Amino acid sequence: MDLLPTEEQDEIISTVRSQLERNFDLHALAASDGAASVIDRELWARCAELGWFGLGLNESLGGVGYTLAEEALLFAEVGAHATPGPFLATVLSARLAALAGASDLAAGILSGEQLVALAEPHGPGDASAGATVSGTFRVTDHGGADLVLVLVGDTAALVAASDLVAEPMASLDLLVPTAIGTVAGVTALANIEDASGLRLRATVLVAAELAGIATATAEQSTQYAKDREQFGTPIGAFQAVKHRCADMAVRAEAATSLTRYAALAVLEGQPDAAFHAHAARTVAATAAIENAQINVQNHGGIGFTWEHTAHRYVTRAQVRSRTVGDTRAHLAALLEQPALA
Amino acid sequence: MNLDLTAEEQAFREEARTWLRDNLPTDPRPPEGQEMRAFDLAWQRTLFDGGWAGINWPTEYGGRGLTDIQQMIWYEEFAKANPPFTLNNSCTFVGNLHGGPTVIVNGDESQKATYLPKILKGEQVWCQGFSEPGSGSDLGSLSTKAEIDGDDLVVTGQKTWTSYAHVADVQELLVRTDPTAPKHKGITWVICDMRSPGIEIREIRTMSHVTDFCEVFYDEVRIPLANVVGGINNGWRTAMSTLGFERGTAFMADQVELAATVERLIDEARTRVGPDGRRPAIQDDELARRLAVARAEVTALRSMTITGISRNARTGVPGPEGSIVRLFHGELHQRVYQLALDIIGADALRLTPVDGEGVWTGPYLQSFAYTIGGGTTDIQRNIVGERVLGLPRA
Repeated sequence: MDLLPTEEQDEIISTVRSQLERNFDLHALAASDGAASVIDRELWARCAELGWFGLGLNESLGGVGYTLAEEALLFAEVGAHATPGPFLATVLSARLAALAGASDLAAGILSGEQLVALAEPHGPGDASAGATVSGTFRVTDHGGADLVLVLVGDTAALVAASDLVAEPMASLDLLVPTAIGTVAGVTALANIEDASGLRLRATVLVAAELAGIATATAEQSTQYAKDREQFGTPIGAFQAVKHRCADMAVRAEAATSLTRYAALAVLEGQPDAAFHAHAARTVAATAAIENAQINVQNHGGIGFTWEHTAHRYVTRAQVRSRTVGDTRAHLAALLEQPALA
Repeated sequence: MNLDLTAEEQAFREEARTWLRDNLPTDPRPPEGQEMRAFDLAWQRTLFDGGWAGINWPTEYGGRGLTDIQQMIWYEEFAKANPPFTLNNSCTFVGNLHGGPTVIVNGDESQKATYLPKILKGEQVWCQGFSEPGSGSDLGSLSTKAEIDGDDLVVTGQKTWTSYAHVADVQELLVRTDPTAPKHKGITWVICDMRSPGIEIREIRTMSHVTDFCEVFYDEVRIPLANVVGGINNGWRTAMSTLGFERGTAFMADQVELAATVERLIDEARTRVGPDGRRPAIQDDELARRLAVARAEVTALRSMTITGISRNARTGVPGPEGSIVRLFHGELHQRVYQLALDIIGADALRLTPVDGEGVWTGPYLQSFAYTIGGGTTDIQRNIVGERVLGLPRA
């Protein structure tokens, strides 16, 4: 039993990190703020070449052949860099298409040619994601997408983006373009009836992204507390600031440790996998939101500016904590689980 | 990253489960005095005879030389066996969990041979003499003085917050041996015989009504120089190793037990009437949310403990990261018992013992110790800030 990455996993982390720093610089991406689509297709294809979208998919299904553990490490980096783009919808839909036997569809997604938006039920009406898809949905990354992954409870389906009528909204996170979309009795391109496994993986990956946000904001505050001087000393020497940084590190450690545990429990199909996935998701969401918020405070005036990246983490944490269920739903699901054996 | 238990670890779990089923005491632990000491030492002896003492201690000192993961498995099985007492609520705590481990790392061969077997066999009770009335969070300012006279140290001064001093045989004691050196350079870590002439012990009653808390007075107490661990004036370094154990691994049993406590609390909330006087407490939205959060957080605590074990396995000794877990655990422990009192409603008016079956208010009062003992949470935050994150000192 071990919860630290192996040397090979550390290499994956450092490769992902350097690519994200080079290609997804948040200051450069500010040019896409508020755009209907924030993803450059060439860049997306380069991510595909690196194997990111099929990292945890079996080689027999067209993937790289690692596991959910490595996928979770990738998503933690995506969170840590506040990287925009439909990473979750892409990874999940490639798996869905491959499992449903739609290998051409899967290949298009894995190669980065097909961009996939994510849709989850919105409002009180009925929604379904079986062989036929209908309902009203919250859709993210819809602009420029070719496909839409529709998640409704434990069912999931892929439809053509052209089959969805989307009404864009002003998005809280300007790099996560969001729309309200309706689908009226459209035939799915691919679907799986029991997508509970897919949803569990999604829960872990969102938790990992949130844990990454918690970690990055803890590090950003710590660095600033070392660099910024007031009253003739780095502000990190003051207990008020130092202790906030310490609490951020504690929350990041809790979120990271539990998310890694959950990823391993899910990939091994342990009976307590759902217990750990729901727990990780709630701990990570709280850690991400609290750390992102306090990170703004630790930066003072500069943290309140558009130019600084602190606000990116605030809005991303809020959006992701409402992706694939929200904290209330996961807490309720956790309490329904039987006690750990 | 893996959750695999080796065949050996799985067999160990089975072995522990079977042994606990057959050997766990059913009598409650006497709450105080010599009866308590006798109970704790008898249980330690039973553990030793069964091969469960010093699970992660080296074999050359009487331990089993197994891994920290196996030590954790043992705690988990103990917690699941529905014991009539909590594992760390014992006068054997200091010897097993930080005095002994400090001697293993810093002691000479004679000290190891003298003390370690006695700790494991339940023949010796240790207590801790670190804090003083004037030196709490600022431990390095301690002023209990020790002068070298022939082959002895002669100690005069006062220690406080010493649990189990009144039933202890020996003490891990910090004294000032060089008053002219910078404050962290003139300290010595020494093993003091608690029956030496010149020692006076006074019991201190705590807010949880436990009487094993003490203050200790030293009037020219002679301690052989041979009892110094880690060298004269090198005591701060030895003490940091003690505190590394105290903050890093000593509370693993408590952390494991807290998960069982939350499950017990969820069961209580299913059977007790909630705040509306009609439905079970668990159907109250606010209580349900807090129970779910507690469940998530104790699960996080366990994974943090495993991360800590993984880290120690790479470095060999507990590092300052232990304070991250200790800090999270202490505050979570308190939140769990605060939640418990909200769930039991008017039953919270009844005082219970700290230990035993179905008790909530005693442990609630005791929970205040969890953010003070072993360094207050303010000190733990300083350690995380300065030694883990590298922030500057004030």
